[in-house]
Amino acid sequence: MTAVPPSRFRIPAPEMERIRTLLGRDPNLTEEAVFSALWSEHCSYKSSRIHLRKFSSKGPRVLMGPGENAGVVRVTSRTGIAFKMESHNHPSYIEPFQGAATGVGGILRDIFAMGARPVALTNSLVFGSLRQPRQMTLFRRVVAGIAAYGNAIGVPTVGGEVWFDERYAKNILVNAFALGLVEEDGIMSAIPPPKPLLAVYLGNKTGRDGVSGAAMASRSFSGGDADLRPQVQVADPFVGKKVMEATLKIIREGLAGAIQDMGAAGLTSSSVEMASKASLGIEIDAARVPLRDPSMEPWEILLSESQERMLLLVEESRVERILDIASDSQVSAAVVGRIISEPVFRVRKGEEVFAEIPVPFLTEEAPCYDRPARDRPPSLSRPSHHAPSEAGRHSIAELFHRLLDHPNGGAADWISRQFDFEVGTRTLLPPGHDVAVVDLREEERAVAISMAGFSHPLTRDPGRGAMLLVAKCVTDLAAVGSWPVGMTDCLNFGNPERPDTMSDFVQAVGGIAEASRRLGIPVVSGNVSFYNETDGLSIPPTPILATCGLLSSRRRVVPGKTASPGLSLALAGSSMDLSLGGSYLDWILKDPEPGPVPMVDWETLGRLQPFMSVLLADGRISASRAIGRGGLLRTLLQLVSGDASLGVALSLPRLENPLETFFSEAPGRLLLAFEPEHLRTLEQTALEFGIPFRTIGSTAPHLWSIRYRDREGRAKELSDDPEQLKRRYAVSLAGQMEDLP
Amino acid sequence: MPSRHRVGIVRFPGTNCDLDTWEAISLITELEPVWISHKERQGEDLAAIVLPGGFSYGDYLRTGIIAARSPVMDMVGSFAENGLPVLGICNGFQILVEAGILPGTLLPNSGRTFLCQEESLVLENCRTPFTALFVPGTPVTLPIAHQEGRFFIDPDQLQEIEKKGQVLLRYLKNPNGSEREIAGVANGTGNVVGLMPHPERRVRSLFGRPDGLAFFRSLALHLDRQSLRTVEIAP
Repeated sequence: MTAVPPSRFRIPAPEMERIRTLLGRDPNLTEEAVFSALWSEHCSYKSSRIHLRKFSSKGPRVLMGPGENAGVVRVTSRTGIAFKMESHNHPSYIEPFQGAATGVGGILRDIFAMGARPVALTNSLVFGSLRQPRQMTLFRRVVAGIAAYGNAIGVPTVGGEVWFDERYAKNILVNAFALGLVEEDGIMSAIPPPKPLLAVYLGNKTGRDGVSGAAMASRSFSGGDADLRPQVQVADPFVGKKVMEATLKIIREGLAGAIQDMGAAGLTSSSVEMASKASLGIEIDAARVPLRDPSMEPWEILLSESQERMLLLVEESRVERILDIASDSQVSAAVVGRIISEPVFRVRKGEEVFAEIPVPFLTEEAPCYDRPARDRPPSLSRPSHHAPSEAGRHSIAELFHRLLDHPNGGAADWISRQFDFEVGTRTLLPPGHDVAVVDLREEERAVAISMAGFSHPLTRDPGRGAMLLVAKCVTDLAAVGSWPVGMTDCLNFGNPERPDTMSDFVQAVGGIAEASRRLGIPVVSGNVSFYNETDGLSIPPTPILATCGLLSSRRRVVPGKTASPGLSLALAGSSMDLSLGGSYLDWILKDPEPGPVPMVDWETLGRLQPFMSVLLADGRISASRAIGRGGLLRTLLQLVSGDASLGVALSLPRLENPLETFFSEAPGRLLLAFEPEHLRTLEQTALEFGIPFRTIGSTAPHLWSIRYRDREGRAKELSDDPEQLKRRYAVSLAGQMEDLP
Repeated sequence: MPSRHRVGIVRFPGTNCDLDTWEAISLITELEPVWISHKERQGEDLAAIVLPGGFSYGDYLRTGIIAARSPVMDMVGSFAENGLPVLGICNGFQILVEAGILPGTLLPNSGRTFLCQEESLVLENCRTPFTALFVPGTPVTLPIAHQEGRFFIDPDQLQEIEKKGQVLLRYLKNPNGSEREIAGVANGTGNVVGLMPHPERRVRSLFGRPDGLAFFRSLALHLDRQSLRTVEIAP
């Protein structure tokens, strides 16, 4: 054969060679387009596949695991929760409003494709520093885009987190999570039954938007990427809602054999993946696809990522009813192809054949790389027994103010109030608490959602840092007495072709896998986003986790804040290792010699949830919060945020290391507020469950007084005005955003 | 047991507070919710109509403008003219304003973003079918969730609606730049009411104070009294 010509779809030369070998000929234009999409990192997981096998998706509650549109976990005797998280980083950087909005639309389609009605959305957002006007615009427009889709389609956005860090300036992260409810016998699958089935297209007409989007998300950015804008899709939540209602109705009536949403690589990936799962072939007639522009070429139709579209595989006898439902719902629908027994992906336009590729070439034979990994120099996580060296030069009060004054330490109300977090009236804990809690309205149960995506511990130590994220989720869930039933992740990393990025990835996956196995949490779905790199600069390793927990009594949901003075305050949980490495304080100080990332006390962590369940069942706790970002002081401030003037009066013993006491974010510790009369019961219960427990003071109006003795035994007091602290907390993010004329 | 009063809940494409409104009305034993399609032209057997919140037709144009021109609005219009109770919540309020059934208009929030938060409000007019159970001056806490809720009206009309007591509900702290903190208004005859806050989201004690319930209880009371009156008149 002659030399391989360069790919028109940026397929790397070795892979082009492989395609030629497999086919025994050169691919034509349409075929090359199909390979470019399905062999992209985004669709094939070619750099991550062999590592993702470490995750365990098994568990007695797991009804659906990886390989489906979303994982499903049983939460009542007849209902499951379907949930998944996905990234939309690359599109959001190019066109923040549409990029973020389509991210929400895409994750919702994954959920209702399973037959589940979406009832909650959350998100995790990471931007560069807000001091840059460009980041301000990106942030403002991403939030507006999420709001535009979620609010309009009527699914509440119940929680989320945000982080600003210069290292993400050229590669912002927009990860969206969705959760839906589905009756066990109504679960839909993306794996078709072995029957002759027709392929029915449902939803928005296909246009040129987003052509090759998956390929775009599978490479790094470089300067002058303005030309990528046509590769960003456009969201239409109104059509999205109609498609959702039609799809759920079709599933409810038992009309479909398999469903997949047309997400990345649109019609190509949905049709090939479903056929592949049944070891069958599929034939698509491009002439029958509803189009916005009739001049579109087959390859464009195949690669279009126009939004709000679903592909259904159905028996012929059901087609008429499906088309009726579509016409009632005012959405387009058409039979566009059929499943064939010969395992081939064939694309026709009328009689003319445009592509003919054996399905296994596109799926099983897709490249799978064990990319070389090289550990970073170990100095980053060298154990040290000193407090961060920088910190010694500041007073505790000064450090606390610095943590609050940065947008990363401020209240996120400016974001959450743009989201309708209540539509559907299932939201039991809205944004502003450790977790969001959603009412199941069945068997008195509720579901808690915890998001964790703080990358700094991973910058210090990817493996231990990743374990810390899992532990953080579990601590958050324990704060409301819920036990973890399933996890989904979005693994955001740089360029996998770089050995140090690959090493971070391998260690992080190992950390998540190990931690989740120790705690018995199945990882039921997930997503990998590589190539978060611009001009050779990668983002720090940033896995983002969402963990769902189950609450047995929705009437016992405990808030994360209180307005009541005179409540006792206590710390519950293990203080075995309060190292500051990877903490928010460590990040603020940008310490060249950080402490190690703390080790997790898994034993005690596992007992935290049953301990809390017992106390909450008896109504003993008024407010509860996991010690989180910024450590004890910031968590205290959040706990008393129910009232503007409420503060605390603490009296602590001699502190070996005050910095660790006040600023450590080691997971596994809860801050509890309760009526003083319950103290004996709490102490007794803590003893029974083997949970270290210590009262530290009480809530107090107009007072912020924290007394302790330093290592030398000298009496110290941190004294502040709670109203002023809260003002700092309230304005550090919002104050930057509200300066519009 | 006397038959329940049928309350029609209008669903436009894009309405999304329909189920919440249905559940809120279901909590009142005297009321029976029924769905009304946006194509419906007949409403003879209805005792009241509610237009719930959402994003009718996606609200890509001015909010409510397409919905205000759908077939069902002719029926709602004559229903209102006959003095029967009509409630528009959020997008429903925007639609009633667009249809000219309620005075004023609703502009984008002064902060230009969507706002979802609790608001402290004061109830002023308690003579409408939806507020009969309140005492004037009652403070209530209800959530808002809208992008276009800034009530605007020209000065003459403003004076007129103030004088006639058509202003129903005011924010304590203006969240969106509304004229005179107006959060809800009634028509001249008091049978049609528009609210930007969502009473249907505060009907259970699980979510804090259930201040929204009284709006639907008021409707039940009003309809009961009406039917009593009919009974008295009848020989």
